[in-house]
Amino acid sequence: MATLTEATTTRRAAHRVRRRRIPVAPYLFVAPFVLVFAAFSAYPIFFALQLSFTNWHGAGALKIVGLANYRYLLTSPDFWQSMATSGVLWLLVVPAQVLLALTIAVALRKARFRGVFSAALIAPFVTPLVAMAQVWIILFDKDFGAVNHGLSALGLPAIGWLTTAAGAKVTVALLVLWRTTGYAVILLLAGLSTIPSDVYEAATIDGAGAWHQFWSITVPLVTRTLSFVVVIGTLTVFQLFAEPYVVTGGGPFNATRTAGLYLYKHITNSDLGLGAANSMLLVLMVLALSLASIRLLRSREDS
Amino acid sequence: MTTLVSRRSLFRGAGAALVAGGLAACAPGTTTGNKALPTTSATKPPSGEITIWDRTGDLYKVFDKAIASFTAKYPQVKVNHVAVDINAKLPSTLISGAGVPDGAFYDDALLTGVAPHLYDLSGLIEQYKTDIAPYKLGVVTVDGKVVAVPWDLDPGLLFYREDIVSQAGVEIGGLSTFDNLLEAARTVREKFPQAKPIHLENDQFLGQLWMDMFANQQGGAMVAADGKLTIDSDPYRNALTWLDKVRSERLGTLAKYTQPTDLQTQDNGTQVFVPWAQWFVFAPQQLLKASKGKWRATALPAWQAGGARAGVMGGSSFVIPGKAKNPELAWRLYEHLVFSKEGYTTVYGANDVYPGGLNTSIPSYLPALDPEAPLFKPLEALGGQDLWKVAVEAGKQVPGGYTIPTWWGKAVDYFGVNVQKLLVGQMSPDEVLKTSASQIQKNLMGPS
Repeated sequence: MATLTEATTTRRAAHRVRRRRIPVAPYLFVAPFVLVFAAFSAYPIFFALQLSFTNWHGAGALKIVGLANYRYLLTSPDFWQSMATSGVLWLLVVPAQVLLALTIAVALRKARFRGVFSAALIAPFVTPLVAMAQVWIILFDKDFGAVNHGLSALGLPAIGWLTTAAGAKVTVALLVLWRTTGYAVILLLAGLSTIPSDVYEAATIDGAGAWHQFWSITVPLVTRTLSFVVVIGTLTVFQLFAEPYVVTGGGPFNATRTAGLYLYKHITNSDLGLGAANSMLLVLMVLALSLASIRLLRSREDS
Repeated sequence: MTTLVSRRSLFRGAGAALVAGGLAACAPGTTTGNKALPTTSATKPPSGEITIWDRTGDLYKVFDKAIASFTAKYPQVKVNHVAVDINAKLPSTLISGAGVPDGAFYDDALLTGVAPHLYDLSGLIEQYKTDIAPYKLGVVTVDGKVVAVPWDLDPGLLFYREDIVSQAGVEIGGLSTFDNLLEAARTVREKFPQAKPIHLENDQFLGQLWMDMFANQQGGAMVAADGKLTIDSDPYRNALTWLDKVRSERLGTLAKYTQPTDLQTQDNGTQVFVPWAQWFVFAPQQLLKASKGKWRATALPAWQAGGARAGVMGGSSFVIPGKAKNPELAWRLYEHLVFSKEGYTTVYGANDVYPGGLNTSIPSYLPALDPEAPLFKPLEALGGQDLWKVAVEAGKQVPGGYTIPTWWGKAVDYFGVNVQKLLVGQMSPDEVLKTSASQIQKNLMGPS
């Protein structure tokens, strides 16, 4: 009896140990990801957040300044001008990109040699930006550019594409559109390929025309992909740096100094605390804008 | 695997490691900046390996040859010479401390912004002080410490189209003041109605650098020696008023330096007068086609009769980062390049890249500036003109005592932009000066 009791007690104890203890192997397997994530994502975010409350310039000890950086930015016309510039570029780029990409994707859906077209569409995305920027500068030169020559042949006045605030924004937006629309088309083609063809066949039998099929079948069924395209477009525009940097240098009169370019200036000016606060504000704003876009498209999907 | 640990222990360990690692990593470098290099180091026989950053392009190739002359002298030294977009990369590298080079070539205008990350070279430079152009010594001195080895001097000159000017009957020798230049531009336009003879700079950064050349020529700067803001002052007002007159009389071509409009209008005779740094000479040599050989250079006109005929525009120096692994060796290299005849002759003299020598600037080391012993040859692109003599003469007239504020680069967003607004007629000279002064005071200098 005593032996039985002892054995039971031992088993219970062993069971408790098994419940309390876990094998190491699974943790070792996930450890590489956790470590990489901690080193390259979690830590930089944490450090940036910490920096945003300091006036660190890259040398010397950190000095906490509380919310001073945030106060400075939120009351700075420069910050709001950069946000407004990104906002205007968003309006110029994202709706046009969605419309263009959707139109091209639908046109290509059943096209022969789709692979060739897809490769052609992705080409601008992989072309070195600096080379394209130089082409853009030559094309859009006010006095000697091909674009103004074309306008003049049509009897239209020359436009200061790179020398006026409005013209420069349009020029940068066109470059972004040219570079990124192909990528959006590829995404939408993938979305379109998930729509079963019998849905269209049924609609055709019911007498639905091409426009009706597009509006009532295609658009609702690719809404999720469209949401993704909008979010990617929003992220691209608010992080936009290289295009205005190489084409306009942020000018004229800081008219193309985007949120990304303004953020970069803090870094090159060694204002790292201010830069970190700026990036935190940017994250919040992009997050809000992306969520609003998704919600807008979802509500359309639901309805 | 039979080893077992409790979940709590695992998380506790991981948490402790993360916190310890995080805190350690979060602590930024304790660099206080401006460590001094010992002056005795120069006596040791140099050996070891260093990494040196230079700009990409032709200048890199020129420095490559010059570095070869150093390693030929000191075979125990290996120099990793790297071409880098320094302006974009150096500030962040100095801050992060990762991959810091032992030495780098850097814009004078941006130097003060990174000064806390650089070695104090005062002790080493002391022996050469009296032989350095006063202007240049001023720009490499920050808070009383020499933070860079001064390299080039870039005097402003007046470049002009000799063919057009002579056809219009303008006597270049008579352009002694900027008012004379305005009159000459009117004369050229009477003869060639399509001409908008005077260059107006359309780039925010270069525009500000250009304005500083005009101010320096009159002994002015954005700040006084005591750091007080002096942008709202006569030197800038004179220059802006003159430029506004050029704009309002349609005597100027607004163009970005070396961009399509600039090159086309210089080639087709629209632009005839370009007051610019010596490095403008790069354009007729490498970029202009129809007008190559038709450009000439002379001293800048003075702002007032009898005033200085030169100001300085731009320039670069060699910096040694505080986190350099082998700073003493970097100093030895730069000492060779800048202060030895063999070094500066290798750079400015005839070489494979520039058979006639490098002529876009002149050394700031005064013993090298002998008008009778030119380092580079007369230029075909300037119709065989001896630019060396013109530049050396101008270099001697560059006023000293110039101070570059630490926020010079940041001021482009205000002063640089406002100058552009003046050039398109959106602001008056007074508005530019008062607005810029107020913006700089508020955003860059804090409350007065």
